[in-house]
Amino acid sequence: MDHPLARSVGVTETLTPPSNAAGSSWERFESLYRSCRDDVYAYVCTLLRDPAAAEDVTALAFERAYRRRRSFDRRRGEERAWLFGIARNAALDELRRRRRIATLVTDPSEDSTDAGEGDGAEVALRRTAVQAALAKLPAREREIVALKFHAGMSNAEVARVLGVSESNAGTLLYRTMEKLRKACDATA
Amino acid sequence: MRLLEQDPIDPEIAATLDAIDATLAGDPVDARYAELAEIALLLASDRPRVPSEFARSMDERVGRRFAPAAGSAGAAQAARRRRLARRFWETTGALAAGVALIVAIVVVAGGGGRGASSESSSSAASSAASSAASGAASTAASGAAAPLSAPVPHTSTTSGKRTAASSVAAPSYQSLGASNVVQPPTTGRKVVQSAQLNLTAAPSHIDAVAQEVYDVVGQVNGIVNSSTVTQGGPTGYANFQLSVPSASLAQTMSRLSQLTYAQVTSRTDNSQDITGQFDAATRALADARALRTSLLKQLANATTTEQVDSLKAQINDAEASISSDEATLARLNNQVNFSQINVQVNAGTPPVPVSHGGGGFGIGRAAHDAGRVLTVVAGGALIVLAALMPLALVVALLWWAGAAVRRRRREQALDSV
Repeated sequence: MDHPLARSVGVTETLTPPSNAAGSSWERFESLYRSCRDDVYAYVCTLLRDPAAAEDVTALAFERAYRRRRSFDRRRGEERAWLFGIARNAALDELRRRRRIATLVTDPSEDSTDAGEGDGAEVALRRTAVQAALAKLPAREREIVALKFHAGMSNAEVARVLGVSESNAGTLLYRTMEKLRKACDATA
Repeated sequence: MRLLEQDPIDPEIAATLDAIDATLAGDPVDARYAELAEIALLLASDRPRVPSEFARSMDERVGRRFAPAAGSAGAAQAARRRRLARRFWETTGALAAGVALIVAIVVVAGGGGRGASSESSSSAASSAASSAASGAASTAASGAAAPLSAPVPHTSTTSGKRTAASSVAAPSYQSLGASNVVQPPTTGRKVVQSAQLNLTAAPSHIDAVAQEVYDVVGQVNGIVNSSTVTQGGPTGYANFQLSVPSASLAQTMSRLSQLTYAQVTSRTDNSQDITGQFDAATRALADARALRTSLLKQLANATTTEQVDSLKAQINDAEASISSDEATLARLNNQVNFSQINVQVNAGTPPVPVSHGGGGFGIGRAAHDAGRVLTVVAGGALIVLAALMPLALVVALLWWAGAAVRRRRREQALDSV
């Protein structure tokens, strides 16, 4: 089957990776920052479920990317995937740190989004069910959702960040969506 | 989890993924994916938003290129860190330069002694090569008039004649100047001197070296007894048998050691004391002459034919003996007055000339020392590299293992949440 590599659009207006390869490393980084700041924060926040920690991790990820911007090798992938790889490592380090100090995490869903304020009752219920189902997902599956729907990545980009094949990433996404659907149905 | 190979995807899964992408793109999807599309839209709309305060703070930090804000504790710490780093690198650089300078001085100062021993060993190889070359090369020999008369049979006894021989091999070409010619004390003694000189020259300069040798021999009124010069291709060889006045031996050796196109690889000086042989020959000659005088007197007083015939025969014998002794004396005198020098020139890469000007520091010496310093530095670097290679491998292995462990722990952290 001829399966096109579809790209998520409409999630954010800054999805296109910077293409001014001829520019200086600083200009490229600044462009990357402008296009990816919100996506990185959304991804990290969903993964950590802690807005304050997500801010720290996002800032750390961009600082690391800035320090290592000259070591970026375009042959190994796009800058966006490279940046999300850095953010992922920083977020996982934060998770490890948390596990060591055994702190509780909070659910950021209420604080971080104002979506749904104008929803009808049925949609609001549905949204609540989806949020509850998402919160129950293991971190690995929540990460897939974060990359796909919150960071606005294509399946190929998700695969690159996770270090798996594109078909493997697609299968993981499919299973996660099926889980969410079943959880929502059960709630309903 | 790390499956990078591309596997074929299930058509149903592919269709679902297409429907999700179409939903996110705002395109209509098939009714059977309606529920999935709704979930996708709800997930997308639930995207955490960046707090405006954080966004402003991040923009500022990026605008400062992540430098600490001026006046903050972080800025002071960063400045202190930069100062320490600069001081560290300045100190390290100064130490490295000092060590390099000391190494260079040690190498240059110790270069002479090590060079001498190495040149000595190369002289042996050169001699061996010349021996081989002399046997293999096709030669064009040119003979010159021999300065010595043919040996005359000497009937006088030579027993009891004192003979002393000595041989000195020069340690290196660097000590072969005119002032370093090895000569035994010759006061009142009859000493025969000879020398062997091995030179190395570029194959293309064999002819030029030969001409230089001829010029030197001409300047000291010497004689080329025989010469062999072979040139052509990458090999070349020349051999000269020279006779020079013994009084000019030191001067001749000095000049031969300073030829423009050749370098001395080894030198051997020989001397043989023949005072005993000379004295014996002189006494024999005096005896023969006294005998002849006596016989001539007897002949004058002879009265019978038989006496006259006998005395004439004895006089003839005495004169033959006188001639033989005179020839022996002449040969010995010639050996004493003319020294034999054998010069061998072998093709090869001549050693780097140090200095012909008495050991002063010049461009050639500087280039030689610079070459030695570079050689030693390169050798040292090679040794350091060889020593560091296993260490680097271990470090790389540890780094790789550390990265693998860190990656695994991160994945475990994801699974444990």
